[in-house]
Amino acid sequence: MTRHQRRLVMRWSLFVLMLVLVTVVNLPIISLILNSFRSTSEILSSRSFLPEAPTLENYAFVTQRTSFGQWLLNSLIMAGGGMALSIMAATLAGYVLSRFRTRFVTAYGTGLFMVQMFPILLALIPLFIFFRTLGLVNTYYSVIILYTVAQLPFATSMFRAFFDGIPVDLEEAAKIDGANRFQAFTLVVLPLAGPAIAAVAIFAFLFSYNEYLIASVFLRREELFTVPIGIQQFIQQFSTDWGSLMAAAVLAMLPTFILFLFIQKYMMYGAIGSGVKG
Amino acid sequence: MDEQQRRTISRRQFLTGLGVGAGALVLAACGAQPGASGGASTAPTAGSAASAASGEVQFWDMVWGPPEYIDTAKRVAEQDFTAANPGITVSYQSNPWSSWPQVFTTAVGSGTAPDVSTGGGYQAIQFYPQDAILEIDDLVAEIGVDAFLPGQIDGMYYNGHYIALPWGIDIRIPFYRKDLFEQAGVAPPTTLEELRAALKALTRGEQYGIAFAGASPLGWQSIVSLMYMFGGGFFTADNQLDVMNDRNIEGLTFVADLIKDGVVHPGSAGFQDADLSRAFGTGSAAVMFFSPSAEERVPEIKDQVGILSPMTGPHGDKATLMFANNLMIYKQTRNPDATKAFLKWWSENSLPIWTEGHAGNLPARRSIAADPYFQENPFIKPIIDEWVPVGRLTGNHSTGTFPALADIDAGGMLNTLATDLLQGRDVTETLQKLETTLKGLKSLQA
Amino acid sequence: MSIKTASSSSSELRVVLRRRRLDLFPIYLLIPSLVLITLINLYPFAAGFYYSLQDGTLLQTGAFVGLQNYLDLMTRPEFHNALRFSAIFALFGVFGSWAVGLGLALLLNRDIPGRGFFRVALLLPWILPSIVSIVSWRWMIGDQTGLVNVVLGFFGIRPIYFLSTGEWATFSIIIVKIWRSFPFMMLSLLAALQTISLEIYEAASIDGASPWQSFRYITLPQLLPISVVLWILMTIWSVNDFETPWLLTQGGPSNATENLSVLSYRYTFLLNNVGLGAAVAFFTMLILMIFALILLRRQQREP
Repeated sequence: MTRHQRRLVMRWSLFVLMLVLVTVVNLPIISLILNSFRSTSEILSSRSFLPEAPTLENYAFVTQRTSFGQWLLNSLIMAGGGMALSIMAATLAGYVLSRFRTRFVTAYGTGLFMVQMFPILLALIPLFIFFRTLGLVNTYYSVIILYTVAQLPFATSMFRAFFDGIPVDLEEAAKIDGANRFQAFTLVVLPLAGPAIAAVAIFAFLFSYNEYLIASVFLRREELFTVPIGIQQFIQQFSTDWGSLMAAAVLAMLPTFILFLFIQKYMMYGAIGSGVKG
Repeated sequence: MDEQQRRTISRRQFLTGLGVGAGALVLAACGAQPGASGGASTAPTAGSAASAASGEVQFWDMVWGPPEYIDTAKRVAEQDFTAANPGITVSYQSNPWSSWPQVFTTAVGSGTAPDVSTGGGYQAIQFYPQDAILEIDDLVAEIGVDAFLPGQIDGMYYNGHYIALPWGIDIRIPFYRKDLFEQAGVAPPTTLEELRAALKALTRGEQYGIAFAGASPLGWQSIVSLMYMFGGGFFTADNQLDVMNDRNIEGLTFVADLIKDGVVHPGSAGFQDADLSRAFGTGSAAVMFFSPSAEERVPEIKDQVGILSPMTGPHGDKATLMFANNLMIYKQTRNPDATKAFLKWWSENSLPIWTEGHAGNLPARRSIAADPYFQENPFIKPIIDEWVPVGRLTGNHSTGTFPALADIDAGGMLNTLATDLLQGRDVTETLQKLETTLKGLKSLQA
Repeated sequence: MSIKTASSSSSELRVVLRRRRLDLFPIYLLIPSLVLITLINLYPFAAGFYYSLQDGTLLQTGAFVGLQNYLDLMTRPEFHNALRFSAIFALFGVFGSWAVGLGLALLLNRDIPGRGFFRVALLLPWILPSIVSIVSWRWMIGDQTGLVNVVLGFFGIRPIYFLSTGEWATFSIIIVKIWRSFPFMMLSLLAALQTISLEIYEAASIDGASPWQSFRYITLPQLLPISVVLWILMTIWSVNDFETPWLLTQGGPSNATENLSVLSYRYTFLLNNVGLGAAVAFFTMLILMIFALILLRRQQREP
């Protein structure tokens, strides 16, 4: 075998390996998708893995008889808002934590670190009173702000770690070329942060998109419900409309899936930036 | 060197952490300024939506039935009620089960509780001692205690007051598979001894006599139901804790013996309600305790589902665990009169939430339970006629309701009891563990 | 608690920056997050700490009892139980998801046909709301008809009830946690892998380094800073994870899978004892902080 052939065999055996891995890892999701094409009673009584009488009834029910579209829209708005705000605040903070090791900045890092260890459950009543005072309960804003804050510690430390890996020489060079410090950050450092922004964006979006506790407490009106709360309407005390729940879950996966497809390309692009390190 | 250095650095870091806190306080003070003024201007507008003047009643309801339940209940509350009571409008809000503790606690704690809500059997008594629930003695007097099926209104009585209306009966009933009984050649048991023999006969290969849902409240509720059939209970008639009594030990020993017999489905300790109804539906368990309408969970084999009649325990007891779902008014209501009018109307006129909304529980009002929808349903009538009269609330021998029952109902200690037993642990030790936990409860220390 | 990877020239710049007094530039950049964090976190944090010193409920303040709740907690078996389970859950969950995430990230970093597809497909476990992923897992392992038992049955193994004994439930919940967490690990490590210059590997391979040596002496050290951050974050999230144990097992059977955050929830909302609930939360915080500081300082000392 030539070297080229060996490489080819290697590539395709890796391909097969990945295919197997991906299938095994996604078995719960595959079974979820299959179940979404079964009636609830078939889900509860059947022993077979594949649907015996595939049906689109669950999808018809979810899209026509529930406010699924509204839930989805709400989820997208709140998740998108939380994502955008936390990226904005965290890139700045992460940069400061990476480049300016003053006592105040270090203390801020420590404080930020502590903050995320505090469980939101205990904070619910004080927060609720706070937002009620501002008139923001039952609005998108309270939830977006809470999602942003919930993201900040993680997002900030991600950006900090990322900026730590970018040599300061770049900014110095920019300054020699006449840029001020803010320009050095926005024009030189930030454009390199693609992979980090992509990772944080995915993380922040997913967290908010799937979050249940905050949304369930702060959104007390049906027209504001997000998908995770809406899905709960299929769950009674001792029985669940599994068919609808699974169909709704599959539909709710689509936007995230599309976001992933889009962002993963962006991450590839970001990889080119690694060349500057040498 | 390392040790010393580490200590000094971490202390300094800790102190700088505190410094951030202090600085933040100042910022918070500045930040609070616009917030406070904004609040002052927006608060009245937000408040007027639910204020007395407009005659609006905010009604929070739990998800008591399949998806059509929410639509029906909303329509009955918002349209049917207002049609009958012009001048009062109702806004209906559905709440998921999984978040009720934090949703209601937050609402009450921040002054945004609804005027009225439904809830499980112990929601009113959980919030009443915290000064959140309005006493409704006048309303109960007006309706009359006889308007409700037996045992229901007693569960609303605490310290000389009625603190809620009962509206829905939830009760644990043994369902059985007629076909599997026939195949095994056993008749429906009438005593617990017969039940044990029947379960043995029904167990063969991958088929078991009975299954429980240990990871759901249904698990402990079924086991406690069996315990009540022996005359057991966790409290005396004057509401004193009484865990280690002979009847409790006897009742739980019966359950432990079933497990030793090998007739209990081995997955029971980890099952949730869906696993339980699936075990029943696929024939791997011939008997299960469930809430009413269990037959709707297994439509394919609905014809094969039967309901056992109350079985007599060795001391002559007939009993099962029952709940009186609450309908309660919150003290924060700005419109108590309109809210009471709604409560009274809803209690009498909510029949459609069963007939059209297919709520899973049974009506507590005699007048509603008399409707043909229930009386002509072969799965409901025997429950109302035979089981509800022997139904016992969580206290069993105790009187009225009291805060410890709310802790016991939701606090998880009975889940532990049930799963301990289902994993084959010793009965006396398990009960002793429960007693220790219960004695540590704040509601039982006063 | 800083992470140093930058070259010597960067520390020179830092020294210069440090000498400049009252430099407001970093403060300006910090303002957005500083304002948000203080407004949203400080008051609830203080209120929570105050709860832990009281003998009340969330709705009614009780008597001031000092550290009584903390002392009480130390004598409670359910607390010891939750502490032990939290430690096991975090340890296996964090390292399991890190190892799986690293393995997959290394694979994805190679030139495989359809790499973009695999990359997205391996992130899927992450995109489900917790209720949905737990429900799908329960269908897989909940009873004898679940897929896992069907496959085991194919090999002649009798059904295993994965959620019905303490040991199996502990095992299962860790697997589910790893499944839910590895995509995040994978993604973060992949992003870090892509910032490692290929020239270093080329130089190493010219010097005759084996693939294992390149991995051990180039890849791992380069991934260490991000890994430490990931370990710490994942530990915090595991210990504070309420939904995985609550939805999968409700902490059972027999409290075998009850972690500190489920216990805190139970005390606070189901047993009306916010004093104990808050004490659990602050005790948890203390342990997490100590853990995090130790890990960060160790890492700081590394050459």
